[in-house]
Parts: sequence; structure tokens; C-alpha cells
Amino acid sequence: MRRWWAIVRATTLEMSSEPLALLLTISAVAAVMVASAFHIHQFGEPSRMARDAGLSALLVVGLAYSVFCTIKVFRREIESGTLQMALAHPISRTGFFLSKAAGAFLAYLVFALTVFGVVATTVAGAEVGGQIAAPTGDVSRVWGPSLAFDAAVIVLPLVVAAALNRFARFRFTTTVTWTALAVSLLGAAADFALTTGLGFDRSALTTVVRVAPAAAMLVMPAAVFVAAAAAFSVRFRDNVAASLCGVLFLAALPAFGNYYLSDALSKGGSLPWTHVALAFAATAPMVAGFAFLGVHMFGERDVG
Amino acid sequence: MNEKENVIELRGVGKTFRDFWMRPTVRAVDGLDLSVARGEVFGLLGPNGSGKSTTIKMILGLLAPGEGKVRMFGLPPQAVAARKRLGYLPELSYLHPFLTAKETLSYYAGLCGLDSRTARERTAQLLEMVGLSDVAGRAVGGFSKGMARRVALASALIGKPELLVMDEPTSGLDPVSTNEVKTLVKTLAKGGMTVLMTSHLLADAEDVCDKVAILDRGHKVAEGRIGEIGTSLEEFFLAKVGEGRDFKVAEFLK
Repeated sequence: MRRWWAIVRATTLEMSSEPLALLLTISAVAAVMVASAFHIHQFGEPSRMARDAGLSALLVVGLAYSVFCTIKVFRREIESGTLQMALAHPISRTGFFLSKAAGAFLAYLVFALTVFGVVATTVAGAEVGGQIAAPTGDVSRVWGPSLAFDAAVIVLPLVVAAALNRFARFRFTTTVTWTALAVSLLGAAADFALTTGLGFDRSALTTVVRVAPAAAMLVMPAAVFVAAAAAFSVRFRDNVAASLCGVLFLAALPAFGNYYLSDALSKGGSLPWTHVALAFAATAPMVAGFAFLGVHMFGERDVG
Repeated sequence: MNEKENVIELRGVGKTFRDFWMRPTVRAVDGLDLSVARGEVFGLLGPNGSGKSTTIKMILGLLAPGEGKVRMFGLPPQAVAARKRLGYLPELSYLHPFLTAKETLSYYAGLCGLDSRTARERTAQLLEMVGLSDVAGRAVGGFSKGMARRVALASALIGKPELLVMDEPTSGLDPVSTNEVKTLVKTLAKGGMTVLMTSHLLADAEDVCDKVAILDRGHKVAEGRIGEIGTSLEEFFLAKVGEGRDFKVAEFLK
């Protein structure tokens, strides 16, 4: 267990120090921010734009994150020779492959939680704004705090990481990633505190709880693509592995409708957790299948 | 000497590299028999491309032999139980550039299954031993070649192995560092560790090895104890593999 954890931890750290991972995280956060700024297009719901943009970013940018970053960490391990060092230690190839893939998925979860934190902040902020604005009719006045939280998710981690890198030699990209996660979750918590503190009802919390199952659904295709990208990259070069993931994406495109269910949330609707459990049951064999393929191909290949 | 006393045992081992379509490209090792006894410092020598690194990688289980049998501690090299007793220093210091020296050793301590307290203690000891305590918190990606080599060496020793496999351990090192590595190998061997090293630096091998085998084009062309060769290792080596290897300069200069 200790051996597996060492690989999971190192992989998560490696992936969170990837400039590409940082770029994708910032892109996803910025997408939610931009969508929230268009508050006049609410389609009858104060948080609709932020929620839909957040879920879309989780799906599209999340898939790019899971594929490209996973391929990058696996190929680098093989091509740089660190794999030789690792496999000369008492760990099986199966254990190594599965731990590395688990580390890649854990890094993706950090990304997904950060984006979800931003969506929660924005959605809760929209609810707060809607209630404050109701008597005055001035919605734009109350969008400010929400957008400020979102901007803080980008700006604050960059400033904190730059300072820690300059004065304490912290890794810049890794610090940005983890600080962005902390700030996004704190932002959401602050919005909820604001709701309670101002004596409003708990509709903000209810709205975010409604978004949670839909967001959880989107983690599942990402898990499949992490497993697929890991499997392909132990056998093929990065461009071939990415192309194969692209083919898989096109082949699976019709099935994505089963995972992207933002419409179910409109007008106060919700997504039952039983649906999430069913989706999990459908996804698990796909993840297991690609993991099996990866273990088989990794076990067969010569290293070095 | 029977198989139980040998830490490494190769019998009729061969390896052919193939391309994507499984067409043979290079016959790297052919019918190799080799035994390394416990406590021995064994040198695998040969010119570039003679099959030394391929042999080492088959012993480590990184490459699957095309034919023949490889055993490490009497077990197949893929066996986790065999690799618990192994330390490996590759030809190039393959390190994760984003990890610090301390994190690198902690990572390999984790792969050896050491508990966190033992890992911390050994990491501190080894960083002190290789003279990198002062830069333990710096990312190894910014280290010089010599410093990276020291980190790799410390990583190879973190599990306190019984067998240390070193591929060109002194390659790219300055004379002082080379001497330090040779002294370290001698000290480890005195402590009972078995060492298998490859080199094409014959003076280094002569200084530290008890026994050598010479490979040429994938075949073992000679094997013997350093004290029994009867001549300098360089003369012995050139006599075995040096013939007809000079550049054909005359034709070029015509």
C-alpha cells in the first residue's frame, strides 16, 4: 500500500505542476467568469448561465485535461527513463500502472473540484444577487462580489505562488493549482455564509446541491478517458495515443448525452442520485476494461 | 558453485530487438551464460554496443529475454521478492526534475515500502553521505550532472540492497567523484554487498572488480578473475575485442 501511495502522490504532484494543467484550469474558470458576466441572459433563472458554463467547462476542458495530462505524465515516465528506476524497485508492473493512473485521476479531481467550487461560488452569488436585487431591480449591483470571487480564484493563487516561489522556493505551478482549489472552495463557503448571515433562505445551498449530482456525472467520462489515455500511452507515442483518444471521443459522442444533463436542472429541477449510481455502474466496466488493456500492454512491453 | 550461492544466474540468454512489425533489427545478446556469486564485485566490460546494458536490463526484468533463463536470488527478475533485495543505478541519472533531492529519496523509499520514520532517517543519512544535505530542498532538475548522479546513487541505496547493479557508474564524472564512487563500491563490497557493474573504463574496473566478463557483439568472449588475467586489463581487453577496430583513415586520406 505504501508503495502504491508513493506513486499516486508523485503522479498527482507531477500533474499539478504541469503548465498545461494550469492553463486548462484557468481556461475553465475564465469560461465560467465570462458566462456569469452576461447576466442579462438568464433564461428565467438567475444562475443558469454560470451553471451551464461550469458544467460545460467541466465536460469539455475536463476531457482535455484528463487525456492530455495523463498522456504527458505516462509518456514522460517512459521516455525520460524514470520508469526504469521505478521498475527496478519492488513493485509489480500492474501496481505501478494502476497507481499512476489513480494519481492522474486524483489530479483531475483537483481540477474538477476547483471548477465546481467556482460554479458553486457563482451560482450561490447569483442566488444572493437575485434576492438582494428583487426589491431594487438592480441585478448588476450584486454580481460584483461573485465575479470578484471568481477573479480571485485566478489572480490570488498566481500572486501567492509567485511570492512563495520567490521567497520560499515553492513550486510555482503546483502552488497555483492547490491555492486555486482552496480559494474556490472558500469562495463558495463565503457565499453560503453571506446567504445565512444576511438572513436569506437557503436557496443558494439548495441550488448548489442540485448541481452536485450533475457535476459528479461529468467526472465519469473523464475517468474513462484517464484509463484510456493511460492504456494507449504505455504502448504508443503521445500523438498516436492522443489520436486514439480522439477516435474514442468521436465514437462515444452520442453517449455523452447520458452524462451531460444540465437541462434536468433548469427551472428548479434536480438530478436524482440514483441516476448517478446507474451511470457509475455503466462507467465502471469501461474503466476496468481500459485498465485491463493498459495492464496487459504494460506487462508485455520492454522498458529501456 | 551451485545456483543457490549465485546471486545472478544467466543461462543461454539471448535478445533480439524488433521493430513495430516484429521484424528483427538487432541481435543484442546471444547465448550468454553468466554467474555472479554472493559478495563479488563483478565487472561486465565491453565496447559500445556490445550488449552490456541490454544484459543488465534483462537481469532487472526491464527487458524480456528472447530465449534462455535469467534468475536473480534464484527467482525470475520480475518477482517482487527478488527486487526487494536490489538497488539499481542506471547509466544516466533518470530523475523526476520537479522533485527535490529529499522528495526523490522519499519517493524511492516509498517504492521500497519503507515506513515514514525509516524513510526520513535513511534519506537524511544518504543525503549526508553523498554530500547533498545543503541542497536537499532544491529541485533535481536544476542539478549538475555530478549532483544528479549522487542523487541517483543515493536512490539506489535507499532500500539497503544486497545486490547493487550499476550501469556505467562513473560515466561523466570528474576524477574526484569517480574516485569517491570507486571507494564507495569497495566499502559496500567489504560490507558484504554484491555488485554488478558495467564499464568501458578499464582502469575503474581493474580497481574495484574481483571478476570480469568481456562482451563483444552480444557474445561473451572472455571471463576471469582480475588477479588471474596475468596482464593488465587493458591489454587483455584489447586482445579480446580490439582487433580490426581501427578507423580506415588511409582510404579517406587518399
